[in-house]
Amino acid sequence: MSQIQARFFTEDKRYVVDDVPFSIPAASEVQDLSNVINKLLEAKNGNKVDFDFLVRGQFLRTSLSTHMATEGISTVWILTGSYDKTARIWSTEGKPAMTVAGHTDVVKDVAWVKREGLTSLLLTASLDQTVLLWEWNSERNKVKARHCCRGHAGSVDTISVDPTGTKFCSGSWDKMLKIWSAVPTDEQDEIEEPADRPRKKQKTQQLGLTRTPLMTLSGHSEAVSSVLWCDSEEVCSASWDHTIRIWDVDTGGMKTTLTGSKVFNCISYSPLCRRLASGSTDRHIRLWDPRTKDGSLVLLSLTSHTGWVTAVKWAPSHAHQLVSGSLDNLVKLWDTRSCKAPLYDLAAHEDKVFCVDWTESGLMLSGGADNKLYTYRYSAQQAEA
Amino acid sequence: MKKAGGKTALKRSKEEDEEQNQIFNFNRKPADEDKDDDLSDSEDSVYSGLEDSGSDSEEEEGSDDDEEEGSDDNDDKMKEKKEGEVSEEKKKHEYEHDSSDEEDIRNTVGNIPMEWYKDFPHIGYNLDGKKIYKPIRNKDELDDFLDKMENPEYWRTVHDKQTGSDVVLSDDQVELVNRLQRGQFGDVNFNECEPMVEFFSSDVMIHPVTNRPADKRSFIPSLTEKEKVSKLVHAIKMGWIKPRRVEDDGRGRYYNLWASEDSSILARHKMHLPAPKIPLPGHHESYNPPPEYLFTDEERALWEQQDPADRKLPFVPRKYSSLRQVPAFSQFIHERFERCLDLYLCPRQRKMRVNVNPEDLIPQLPKPKDLQPFPTTRSLVYRGHSGLVRSISVSPSGQWLASGSDDGSVRFWEVCSSRCMKTVQVGGAVKSVAWNPNPSVCLLAVALDSVVLILSPSLADKQVILSSERLLSAQQEGEEPAEGNGSVVWSEAEGEELNQGLRLKIQHPKAVHQVVWHAKGDYLASVMPDNTSHLQVYIHQLSRRRSQNPFSRNKGLVQCISFHPIRPYFFVATQRSIRIYNLVKQEMTKKLQTNSKWISSMAVHPGGDHVICGSYDCKLSWFDLDLSTKPYKMLRHHKKAVRGVAYHRLYPLFASASDDGSVIVCHGTVYNDLLQNPLIVPVKVLRGHVMTHDLGVLDVTFHPTQPWVFSSGADATICLFT
Repeated sequence: MSQIQARFFTEDKRYVVDDVPFSIPAASEVQDLSNVINKLLEAKNGNKVDFDFLVRGQFLRTSLSTHMATEGISTVWILTGSYDKTARIWSTEGKPAMTVAGHTDVVKDVAWVKREGLTSLLLTASLDQTVLLWEWNSERNKVKARHCCRGHAGSVDTISVDPTGTKFCSGSWDKMLKIWSAVPTDEQDEIEEPADRPRKKQKTQQLGLTRTPLMTLSGHSEAVSSVLWCDSEEVCSASWDHTIRIWDVDTGGMKTTLTGSKVFNCISYSPLCRRLASGSTDRHIRLWDPRTKDGSLVLLSLTSHTGWVTAVKWAPSHAHQLVSGSLDNLVKLWDTRSCKAPLYDLAAHEDKVFCVDWTESGLMLSGGADNKLYTYRYSAQQAEA
Repeated sequence: MKKAGGKTALKRSKEEDEEQNQIFNFNRKPADEDKDDDLSDSEDSVYSGLEDSGSDSEEEEGSDDDEEEGSDDNDDKMKEKKEGEVSEEKKKHEYEHDSSDEEDIRNTVGNIPMEWYKDFPHIGYNLDGKKIYKPIRNKDELDDFLDKMENPEYWRTVHDKQTGSDVVLSDDQVELVNRLQRGQFGDVNFNECEPMVEFFSSDVMIHPVTNRPADKRSFIPSLTEKEKVSKLVHAIKMGWIKPRRVEDDGRGRYYNLWASEDSSILARHKMHLPAPKIPLPGHHESYNPPPEYLFTDEERALWEQQDPADRKLPFVPRKYSSLRQVPAFSQFIHERFERCLDLYLCPRQRKMRVNVNPEDLIPQLPKPKDLQPFPTTRSLVYRGHSGLVRSISVSPSGQWLASGSDDGSVRFWEVCSSRCMKTVQVGGAVKSVAWNPNPSVCLLAVALDSVVLILSPSLADKQVILSSERLLSAQQEGEEPAEGNGSVVWSEAEGEELNQGLRLKIQHPKAVHQVVWHAKGDYLASVMPDNTSHLQVYIHQLSRRRSQNPFSRNKGLVQCISFHPIRPYFFVATQRSIRIYNLVKQEMTKKLQTNSKWISSMAVHPGGDHVICGSYDCKLSWFDLDLSTKPYKMLRHHKKAVRGVAYHRLYPLFASASDDGSVIVCHGTVYNDLLQNPLIVPVKVLRGHVMTHDLGVLDVTFHPTQPWVFSSGADATICLFT
C-alpha cells in the first residue's frame, strides 16, 4: 500500500495541526482523513468534527489516489541509478520508495518516461548493454520490467526521452545512438539470432519483452557520453571524439557538428534560451548555439571548477540558470548573465559529483561518488541527505 | 589786391626762373619784359579802371596802418604766412594748403582763395562785419620798379594777400626766415645738442621710471593670442595648414654615389687589407745623429764586410752640420723598389674569427602551447591499492584500466569515473600487466612470481568475451600442446579462480619480470631476467598453447622486450644495449648502443621506426632506427632513475616516469620524410605522486585515443593526467 505525504492547513485556529508532512495511505477517502485529523486533535478538544478537504482548491470527493489521478497531481519522485546495479526511487524528502533491481551490471543512466498517475514508466540504462523499461505502480509500489531494449554493443551510458514521451534515445560506448519506442506493448520484437551463438543455454533469464531499436544513428568516432532531445525531431549527442552532433530523427541524418577541443562529458539544452551547455574533461562549462551551421562557436565559457565538469543542467523554468557538477566535489549554480563567478558553490559532497538535475519545483539535485543524493533549495541552501 | 598778389607771384616765379629768362632774354630789350608786365597789367587795369574811385587812397592808408600794426603783433603769424606762401608757390593749388589756423584775425572771410573777391571792391570783412576794401591801386609796374630801385626796404617787404597790404619784415623776422631757410630751429634759444637723459637703460634703478601700475594685460594671458593660437590649431586640425615638414634626404637631395658600382669592387673594398707600415725613422736616419749612433771604424769595417742582406742597417749614418749639406739619397730608387716588392710578394691574409652567439646554438623549438593537446593537470586519482602499483595497462577501447600491485591484486578501473569495477586477488606481487591489444578479444596478461596469468575480465561486449573465450579454448579440443622444452607448463584455472576471471596459468621456471603482447594478440612474450642462463625470454602462442625460447645464447641480462607493432621484429633490451631480431629470418638485424649504464624500460613508436629507452642513470634516449645505432637524442630531464617510458598511439607524444615522482611529457613528431629528423620538445612536467620508500612513479601509459596519460606510483595510487 503506497503512502502519500500530506500536510494539513486550516484558517480556523481551533483545528490547527502541526505543519509537518504526514504519511497517509493513498487509498484514504474524506472520512479517513477526517478521522486522522480528529485523532490529532483529540488532545485539544474532545468532540468529533467532520472535515472537508480541499486539495489545490478542489474538494476531495473520492480516494486520494483517484483524485490525484483525475486531477493530474503527481508527487515528485526522484529516480537514481547507481553503481550497485540498481535504480532507486526517492521522495523529495529523501525517503527511498522503491529499489529497481534487475540489471546485471552498473546502472549508468535513468530517465522517467511518464510520472503522472499511479503507474509511472521509467528507464534504466546499464553497463550490461541493455536499457530496461519499467512500469512502477506507486499505489501498490510494485515495479515490473516491461521491456528489455537490446541492441547496443557497449555500455549504454546515456538515455533521453523525447518531449512527447513516446520515444527515447540512447547513447552507448559502442559509438552508436539508438532510437527506441517508449510505449509499452505486449508484443516482443523479433530479434535476429546471431548465427554463431554457441550455446543457447548461456542466455540468462530475460526481464521483460525484448525490444529492438527503431533507428540507429552512427557517425561518432568515439563513445557517446550524453544525448538529449532538442525538440521532438532533433537529437543532440555529445561524444568523446570532441564533437557535439545534432541529428534529425525523421531522416536519421546528421544536421550539424559542433567541434570542441576536449572530450565532452555532458550536455544540456534549454528551450528557454536555446543554448547548449557542455561540460568537458577540462575546467570549463561552454555554451553553444546549436543553430549555427558552421560549427564550433563557443558563446561563453564558465570557469570556476577545478576538475572535469561531469554534469550540467539548465534550470527548467529559468532561462539563465544552470547547475553544474564537477570532479572537484562541488556543485555550482550559475547565472549566465554573470559568467565570471557562480552564484553559489554547493559544497555538500565529499567525493566526485557525477550527476545534477532540477525538479519542476526548482529543487536542485546532485549525486556523487560518496553514495549520496543531495537536494538543494535555491533560496536557502539547505541540503538533505 | 588780386592783381598785386598775382604780380607778386609773377615776380617770384620770375626770380626763380631768372636764369632761364636770362638765357632767353639775354640780348633782348627790356621792352619785352615790360611787354609781359604790360599784358598782365592790362588785364588788371581794365578792372581797376572800372572800379577806380576817389576813395582809394584813404583805404590804402588805413589798411597799411593796420597791416603794420598786425605784423608787429603777430610775427609768428607772418612767418607761417610766409611758409604758406612759399609752399603755395611750389604747388599750384592753393586749396591744399588752406588751414583755419592761418586765419588772419582781421579778415574774417576765412581761408578761401582770394580771387573770389577779384570782382569786388572789398577784400573781406573785419571783425565788426565791415567790408575791408581793397587798397587803391596806386602802384603800377613803374611804381614797383621805382620802389625796387629806391626803397632800401623793398627786399624785406612782403605783400599780404589777404589784406592786400605790403608788410615790411623786422630784423627778427628776417633772421627767423633765414634760420628756417637754413633748416635750423626757429627758436634761437633752443639747444639742439642737449645731453640725452637715458631713462631706459640696462641699469636697475631703485625707483621705477614711471609710477604707473602694471597693466592687467601684462599678467593675464592674452585672449587675442589665445584666439590666434586656437585658430591656428583648428586650421592645422582641419588640414588647412600643413605643419612644416622635415626635409627628408632620401627624396633625391642626396644620391648614392656608389649605387651603380659593381658589387665585387665593393666587396674588395670591404676586404681591403692595409699595407704594413714602414717603421718610423730613428736616430740613425737623422742628418745630425748623436755621436753614439755614428759608426766607429770597426763598425764601419764590419758593415762593409757584411753581405748586404746581413747588414743591420742598409746605410751608414752620417753627420752633417746642416740640412742644406745633406746630399741626395743614392739608394732611394732601390729602397722604393724593395718596398714595392715587399708589398707585392708578402702574402697577407685576413684572420677569420668566428663570432657565435651562444643563444643561436640553442635549437629553435616550438612553444609548448603550440603543441597542444598534451596532458597538463591531474584529473583523477584511482585509489584502492594498498601496495605500490608496479604496472598499469589500458584496454584498447580506452574504457578500462588494469593495474597490478604489490598487494597481490589486479584491479580493473573505469577510466572516466575512477571506480574500481573489479578486483582479482592473484596471490602475489604483480610485476607486470598487459592488456591484449586486439580489440576483438578482452584478455589481460598478468606476470607475478614465476607465473603468467591470462585473465578474462569480461568487461566488454558479449561477442568480444565469447571470442576471447574461444581463443583460450581453441586448443583444448586439439592434441595435447607440444611442450617445447618442458620448462613451461600451461594449465587451466579452476573453481574460484575461474569465477574471478582467471583462465590460464603459464608456469615459468623462474620469476617473470615482464609480459608483453604482440599487436595481433595471439603471441605474448615474457622475460625472466637471469644473467647466467640463455632461458630468459619466452614467446607464447595463446591459440596453440605453445611456448618457445627464441634465443639459444645468453647475450646479457635481459631487461625488457617488445614486439614491433607492424613488422616481425622483436626488441630485446639488455643491460647496455638493445638488440633487434627478425623473427622470420631468425637473425639479429641491429644492435642499438644506448650509452647508458642500465636500461630500465623501452617503448617502440607506433610507426615502428623509433624507439625510446629509459635507463636507471636518469637518461632517456631516442633512437631513430633508420638513422643510426646511436641515440638520436639523449634527454636528461629527470633527477632520478627513469622507470617507465611510453608512446602515445595516435598523438605525437611520449612520456617518461621517474623515481623523482614526476612524469615528463614530451612532444615527439615523427616525419614521413626520411630526411627530416624527429622533432622532440619537452612540454610538461606532471607531478602528482607522493614519494614512498624513495620510489616515485613506477609505470606510465597513455590512453589509446585521448591525449591522457596514466601513471602509477609507489604511493599505491594511479593518476590520470589530462
